[in-house]
Amino acid sequence: MINYLLHIVVISEIFALFAMGLQLQIGDTGLYNFGHVAFFGLGAYASALLTVHGVPFAVALCLSLGVAGGIAWLAGIPILRLRGDYFGLAMLGFAEIMRKVFLNEAWLTRGPMGIPGIPRPSAFGYSLHGLPGFALFYGCLLLLAFLFTHHVVRSPLGRVFHAVRDDELSAGAVGKDTFRLRRVSLVIGALLAGLGGILWAHYITFISPSDFTLNETILALLIVVLGSGRGIPGALVATFLVIGFQEGLRFLPLPESFGRIIAPVQQMVFGLVLILLVMRQFRKGLGKGELLAED
Amino acid sequence: MIIFQSLLDGLIAGSIYALFATGLTLIYGTLHFINFAHGELIMAGAYLAYLFMIPPLGLSPIPSAGLAILGVIGLALLTDRVVFRPLRNASPLLLLIASLGISLFLQNFAQALWGAEIRTFPFSLERGLTFGPIVITRVQITILLVAAVTILLLYLLLKFTRAGRAIRGVSDNPRLAETFGVESEKIIRNVWILAAGLAAVGGVLYAADTNLEPHMGIINLVRAFAAVLLGGTGNVWGALIGGFVIGLSENLGVLVLPLGYKDAIAFFIIILLLLFRPEGILGTRWGVR
Repeated sequence: MINYLLHIVVISEIFALFAMGLQLQIGDTGLYNFGHVAFFGLGAYASALLTVHGVPFAVALCLSLGVAGGIAWLAGIPILRLRGDYFGLAMLGFAEIMRKVFLNEAWLTRGPMGIPGIPRPSAFGYSLHGLPGFALFYGCLLLLAFLFTHHVVRSPLGRVFHAVRDDELSAGAVGKDTFRLRRVSLVIGALLAGLGGILWAHYITFISPSDFTLNETILALLIVVLGSGRGIPGALVATFLVIGFQEGLRFLPLPESFGRIIAPVQQMVFGLVLILLVMRQFRKGLGKGELLAED
Repeated sequence: MIIFQSLLDGLIAGSIYALFATGLTLIYGTLHFINFAHGELIMAGAYLAYLFMIPPLGLSPIPSAGLAILGVIGLALLTDRVVFRPLRNASPLLLLIASLGISLFLQNFAQALWGAEIRTFPFSLERGLTFGPIVITRVQITILLVAAVTILLLYLLLKFTRAGRAIRGVSDNPRLAETFGVESEKIIRNVWILAAGLAAVGGVLYAADTNLEPHMGIINLVRAFAAVLLGGTGNVWGALIGGFVIGLSENLGVLVLPLGYKDAIAFFIIILLLLFRPEGILGTRWGVR
């Protein structure tokens, strides 16, 4: 039971990182990134491939962050020309392409068979074993990433992000390079997603292209929407609730025939919750642009 | 001469994508958001037709398709009544997230009912007819004909009927249309009927040409979106042409690209467009309103 709870804690920590990136993009900069999972997947694949081929964990971690951030930097060149919902759909397309790359470049990624036997995190001769260790180590990384993001949002840079979100035209008119700002936000969000992906890969120890679908982005979106306006504890509770519901049913002893429909039914519930949250936000009069805005 | 065959296949696929794209752009023109669940209307059309075709009902394809179209129109009107109508005048981004929720719900509803496996319509296999270098099956001929007739009907409807003119008026200039006494709720209902009908016809044709699975909506949404971008937003005829461009590029593209990336071609076109025509085609300003 305690192991089970710790498992949910570890997964929650990973998704908190992942969702934090999306919160920065959607909530603070107004970038509706529906392809967020692409960077989660890139981080996971890069780190898994490097460590499987013998690169030390710490080195792989840095390189993989570079991969996720670098590809976001490049992808931003064309896609950031789009705004609002158009940007969102183009990013969705981008994430689908990344999944195709994981699937089709079998010489590198082993295609649909995935990468098994990803080593556990280790450094200076210590390697991580057992759930409490994971929960603690990932918790520390989450805290560090949070302090960094919090600092960014509170800094002058963060205030300009808000300006871009609220009125890009005016922000541009007073001389802010809005393209660069949106790009910086996209890259920071991608780094957080990448870190989440890296930690995911080394915890689960097996990844395959089917781990990185739109469903994971929606999970993060749900966390962001659910936690919006409720501060840091709200965001943590939202993460724990969503992940608890997602992971919780996986371990119940359910009959086989029931198990087949449990995953889609879970996703149906997530869909309904998303709709209800949006409708509530709108009724509360938050519907005109201030959605998910946290100042 | 494989290129002729690819051109024909591209034309068939393109005629189907054109139906997806015109529906998506009609909704955009009137309600000013991208309906994320448009792909699921396509999927619903395919699955409903499948449901009527297999035992115990075992209807023949035409009545099955007719019932499927009615079902999808009903579904679209239901989502509008329950979700989108209470959200009128919400920001496009709220509407987008709500439609994402609907998309997720419907996709998984289909998966819960029919499972995730790939299915095909219960057509018996047939040998294609050969014309010189190209081969075409009777099903494919039917697809081309149905798509052509549907597009023609859409044209006549928008051009010559009162309801059609009202739709065009609202998407050109909603304020002005209102001053001339056009009731927007009525227009919105008509647009949903039209868009859902187009999605359903397209979905049935798509399933007849390829196959069905619960997640077929996403890739077709991306295709339709690419076609809409190509044609200029809210521009029905532009989206139509965009659909054909996507269909042809996919089928010609696989002559040079690995087959596994066929679904990625629509996205590559979006990227190329953004890199080399950043100002947009037909003066569109990418999602800036």
